[in-house]
Amino acid sequence: MSYHFGRGWSKWLPYLLLLPGVFFYFLIALGPSIATAVYSFTDATGIKGAPMHWIGFDNYREFLLMGRASVDNLEALKRTLLFCVAVTTVQFALGLFIALIVNQNLKGTNFFRTLYFMPVILGVVIQGLMWSLFLYPLGGPAAKMLALFGMRSEFLGGPPEQAFFWVIAIQIWANMGTTMMIFLAGLQTIPDELFEAARIDGANTWQVFSDITWPLLTPSVNTNLLLNIIGSLQAWQLFLVLVGYRNGTQVLGYLIYATGFGQTSGSVSSSFRQGYAAAASIVLFLLVLVIGMAVQTFLQRREERILG
Amino acid sequence: MSKKMFSLLSLLVVFATLLAACGAPATPAAAPVEGNATEAPAQPAEKVTLRVLVHQNPPMVTFMEQFNAKFQEAHPNITVDMSVVNANDLSTVSQTRLSANDIDVLDIFGFSNGAQPYMKQVDSPNWQQLIEAGLLMDLTGQEFLKNYDPAAITDAGSYNGKTYAVNLGRVIYSGIYYNKQLFTDNNIKVPTTWSELVAACETLKAANVPCMTAGGKDGWPIFVGAYGLLGSIYPDQATLVEGLWTGSIKWNDAKSLDMWTKMQVYARDMMEEGASGVAGDAAPGRFASGAVAMFPGGSWYAPAIEAAQPAFDWGYIPFPGSDNAADNQYWFGKYDQGWAIAANTPNAEAAKLYLAEFSDPASYQTFVDAVGFIPTQPTAKLNTKIGAEIAPFLANFHVGYEQYWIGPKGAGQFANPWASYFKPFGTDDDPQVLADKVQSDLQAGLDAVK
Repeated sequence: MSYHFGRGWSKWLPYLLLLPGVFFYFLIALGPSIATAVYSFTDATGIKGAPMHWIGFDNYREFLLMGRASVDNLEALKRTLLFCVAVTTVQFALGLFIALIVNQNLKGTNFFRTLYFMPVILGVVIQGLMWSLFLYPLGGPAAKMLALFGMRSEFLGGPPEQAFFWVIAIQIWANMGTTMMIFLAGLQTIPDELFEAARIDGANTWQVFSDITWPLLTPSVNTNLLLNIIGSLQAWQLFLVLVGYRNGTQVLGYLIYATGFGQTSGSVSSSFRQGYAAAASIVLFLLVLVIGMAVQTFLQRREERILG
Repeated sequence: MSKKMFSLLSLLVVFATLLAACGAPATPAAAPVEGNATEAPAQPAEKVTLRVLVHQNPPMVTFMEQFNAKFQEAHPNITVDMSVVNANDLSTVSQTRLSANDIDVLDIFGFSNGAQPYMKQVDSPNWQQLIEAGLLMDLTGQEFLKNYDPAAITDAGSYNGKTYAVNLGRVIYSGIYYNKQLFTDNNIKVPTTWSELVAACETLKAANVPCMTAGGKDGWPIFVGAYGLLGSIYPDQATLVEGLWTGSIKWNDAKSLDMWTKMQVYARDMMEEGASGVAGDAAPGRFASGAVAMFPGGSWYAPAIEAAQPAFDWGYIPFPGSDNAADNQYWFGKYDQGWAIAANTPNAEAAKLYLAEFSDPASYQTFVDAVGFIPTQPTAKLNTKIGAEIAPFLANFHVGYEQYWIGPKGAGQFANPWASYFKPFGTDDDPQVLADKVQSDLQAGLDAVK
């Protein structure tokens, strides 16, 4: 094998250049992942110096099979999937729709592109604070709007399904800008000549979209779908900031955090269970892996079929 | 892939795994570190920065800022770097910073939730995990401990015969604050029974005054506010916890059903609409503003109420959960904030000096006056307004349910006596159905650990 880097020692140059990236990948991604898998078979607490014992599959048995808690865990798993489907579907559709609009050659499109993208650059805490204030049930803007129609709501503090709905909505608001931007980048790679030719041939708006825009957006569609699915399966920060640890609202990602750091019982002296949390995170990892791989395979085949 | 490349990658994996495990609990338990028991703490010869961690409690933080300023003035070689975290995050931050050797003095809640002989397969509470990992300094024999009530030192800061924390005060979480002016304006007498409390709320509601508020946004204030109701039905909460574990008490027996029925009234009819959006820190201010007549909450809120409206006239009563007034004369609470020192601190002498000066009776009196704690130093006086309010029933103080309870592994998420399960905060609106669900969730855990 020969490289344009030359012969002798210089043929190692590509590997040398890759080394820092590979090193950091192992250090901050693969290494901790392997460690998590190992800890999932222990009773690790995460406390430096605390004894740790090998307990085999006990954490998995407890998470998946022990008492009513395991049923609650499976409920959290179902809720995670529901969250993923709802967020991915709406965020994808809305992102595409808005990208199509702000891709028009109209006045003010730059302003709207910035406006829609702005939530992405805010941190989760800021996003949570903004929405907590907006949804404040004692005279917040949303409460005042409802009051005009003689209605009221506890919003994030109300029944769990209502709180869950709001977290879905806020997650979509917070991340839709990225989806829109990826679609926008995809739209701008489609040559104008194709649209012009189609118009001359008498194609209507729907035909232009379905026969030109949609197929040529395939790489953006694939990227967005994968990002949305994986991002929503792993989401937990907004749950922490907006609703805290409440029955009927937990998703797997938040359950892992709460269990690992003793935040589940409402008591300030709950134990740390990082071995158990590691087992739960491996379950989440497998879920993401299976869904991610299936979607990836489907999307690859679709891309090959459409773009060749 | 060549053998060399494979070897290189394998080495990298091993290296990365080792690095990732650096901060993890891979080492065996260290022996608890013993403090210097006999010598008085000395002034540091060189400049040091003392890293102190406290939880968010506005009057306490204000006091600590003043104390730190005085301490630094008296000890120019010591700079105090104090961090404040939300109470919910205290255990996580403590664990992280102790593991990273990034803290010298830390705020630790009074030791509670210790595993009892009748509990099976339960995990140790985090304070016990920290001690067993050798992360807290043994303070046994320190001179400043003599300033405190020996029972408080034993109950709230000792483990296996050694002292690891000095507790600074008890708090009550089973009382209700009430607005005296609103009570007078609406001809309501201070309720001493459940029926009187219900009647008071109905009168207030008729006058368009919301009866109660709580910091529902933080979750726990809703159900902690009703712990007094639990206490009026089960005054001996250590026995209650043992009974739940052994099966002699059930969350759906007749006595408990009475509790659930009253909890529904509390959540549905007494709590103001929108209480779920009120943050824990904002609730005292909302009560002090006169917007609501009552506020079920802990004694630690009193300084915040006074700070919000100094002229506001309020009282504090035990939650009257029973129709027998004699059952409503108990306080339930816990040991609150305490101090511990990191075992591996490089600033041990400065840390001990900090605790010694804090424990000076005059300084401690200022502290309890500022935060409203029930003192754990026997020479300290209950000078505060909240002190005067709780004094009549102080002989009936009991450590509450939450400090005894550890749920069995495998128990469902509803295995707790929480009023927040009821609408509008939760989904339940039938006390019997909820009682059965709670007992069933608990029983599933008890069966799983048999």
